[in-house]
Amino acid sequence: MSKILLQVEDLCTSFFTRAGEFKAVDGISFYVHEGETFGLVGESACGKTVTGLSILRLLPEPAGRIVGGKIILDGTNLMELSKKEMRAYRGKMISMILQDPMTSLNPVYTVGNQIGESVRLHQGLRDDKVEDEVISALRLLRIPAPEMRIRDYPFQMSGGMRQRVVGSIAMSCRPRLLIADEPTTALDATIQAQYIALFKDIQKQTDVAIIFITHDFGVVANICQRVAVMYAGKIVETAATSTIFKAPKHPYTSALIHSVPRLDRKDDRLYSIEGQPPSLLDLPPGCRFAPRCPDVQEICHKQQPPIVEISDGHSVSCWKVK
Amino acid sequence: MLSIMPNIEDKTRPRISGLSRGARILRGLSLVIPATVLALMFLTAIFADLAWIGLPDVGLSPYHPNDQVLKERRLPPAFIEGGSTEHLLGTDNLGRDVLSRVIHGARVSLSVSLLVIFITATIGTILGITAGYLGGRIEGFIMRVVDVALSFPGLILALLLATIIGPGYMTVVIALSALGWAGYARLTRGESLRIRQSDFVAQARVNGASTSRIMLRHIFPNVLNSLIVIMTLAVGMMILAESMLSYLGIGISAPTASWGSMVADGRNDLDRAWWISTFPGIAIGAVVMSGNFLGDWIRDKMDPRLRQL
Repeated sequence: MSKILLQVEDLCTSFFTRAGEFKAVDGISFYVHEGETFGLVGESACGKTVTGLSILRLLPEPAGRIVGGKIILDGTNLMELSKKEMRAYRGKMISMILQDPMTSLNPVYTVGNQIGESVRLHQGLRDDKVEDEVISALRLLRIPAPEMRIRDYPFQMSGGMRQRVVGSIAMSCRPRLLIADEPTTALDATIQAQYIALFKDIQKQTDVAIIFITHDFGVVANICQRVAVMYAGKIVETAATSTIFKAPKHPYTSALIHSVPRLDRKDDRLYSIEGQPPSLLDLPPGCRFAPRCPDVQEICHKQQPPIVEISDGHSVSCWKVK
Repeated sequence: MLSIMPNIEDKTRPRISGLSRGARILRGLSLVIPATVLALMFLTAIFADLAWIGLPDVGLSPYHPNDQVLKERRLPPAFIEGGSTEHLLGTDNLGRDVLSRVIHGARVSLSVSLLVIFITATIGTILGITAGYLGGRIEGFIMRVVDVALSFPGLILALLLATIIGPGYMTVVIALSALGWAGYARLTRGESLRIRQSDFVAQARVNGASTSRIMLRHIFPNVLNSLIVIMTLAVGMMILAESMLSYLGIGISAPTASWGSMVADGRNDLDRAWWISTFPGIAIGAVVMSGNFLGDWIRDKMDPRLRQL
């Protein structure tokens, strides 16, 4: 396998509110290879988006703060960079596609102008050169007739087209790492399939590494090489996509996979996990999934399970696995 | 990959506007008429006389605005009975030519209102966007100052300034600007708070834009629409405020003509010589309305959605 591009070690991110400290991300570690698509899966509020924002160091201040850990991108610990240095990394080295790309475009500027902003910020090109870059970014996202499209305003475009423009902005400086935060959630199934195909194609062309944040295992199966499953601020299982689907080791992972509706099986009811995720304010001392776990043991309630690497690249945090 | 899109290469096809012919003409007029009125007003103010290039006797105004002919007091305008073409808009209670005074009054009224609006809008917008976007302690501080400015009685401040620096043109400008910025600050802060939450601001941050860049390039243009509307509405308010201050003796002192002070002067003669107040009043009305219409037009032009209709 190729080189490791991003290494996140023991990242802890908390939100400090009047009610107390919300441990949105509590000591997660993972790595992403160059040119790889890494899935970050979990239900809402499990800390996926916060992980993405932490990598960019763009948490909503002053409430959100990274309280510990290391984020190493290509040998540089992003936590040690000054604000200004970090700004130079954003957009150029790391990009992000936000959850709702429909509103990610400024209504008062043309599409070309907005893609050009990032190019101008990071590459310091002259105006005529900027336009070439913009057109090539639009072409990368397969937007037809980019020469005409750059003069359009966002409201003149369809949803699917705006989505691709947002992708063009993210890719305009050819970043090494792209964080895509549920980019397909707002799309219908056909456009979603197209968009994912597009991502694969872009990756082939530019060798960008993608962290794909989603709650949809179907999407994961489609695009990701490796997956980390998150639950209540912790990663419970990391493995290659095929391993996760064939032999999930953590009860939460298998429960999640079971809850995906399937065409090839006749089920009367969709499987669902009993109970609710724990409050991040008042976390249980043991395994966070213990109250909902079908295979719960005594120790699960008392002590947090260690992360065990059971085979190459497959690690699980569960007392059942040792 | 297929995409469902109109053939955008086809530029030969005439652009079909969403507006009917009549609506387009009206829209055109809503630019042409107010722009013409305002342009004429400004030209009038500039060319009232040519004293500024050393020719005090040449200019648009037929008489000197302060020349009194006491025998010819309250002469009616030329177009009603008893009037003469000597004084097209009649004379006032001291026998001064109303037309000449309206022409000269344009200088004070227009320059005071524009200057004040420019100063207040600039200060208010900078503070408002800063407060709204940065939040926290800076916002708290700025907004408390705004609260103080909004609750402070403007007239008292104006009187205070007049006693300290004496009445005059700059006193009026300072008195109106000193508190006037607070309204703009409050407006732009509210708008910035809303825009700050938008995804496109988050996207700009993701792209590595700096705070000042986001405020200038992403917040400001989106605040501009409401700002322009408030600024055009302020034209009338500023003209009236100037006249009020002048009437109280804080502003431009007695013989110098300003539209507001002319309206105030003619108040007591409204029953026998309505023209003294009415013509400067019409001038104020024309400027205010033109300003508002032009503001609407600019706002439509700023909105990309409406621009291409």
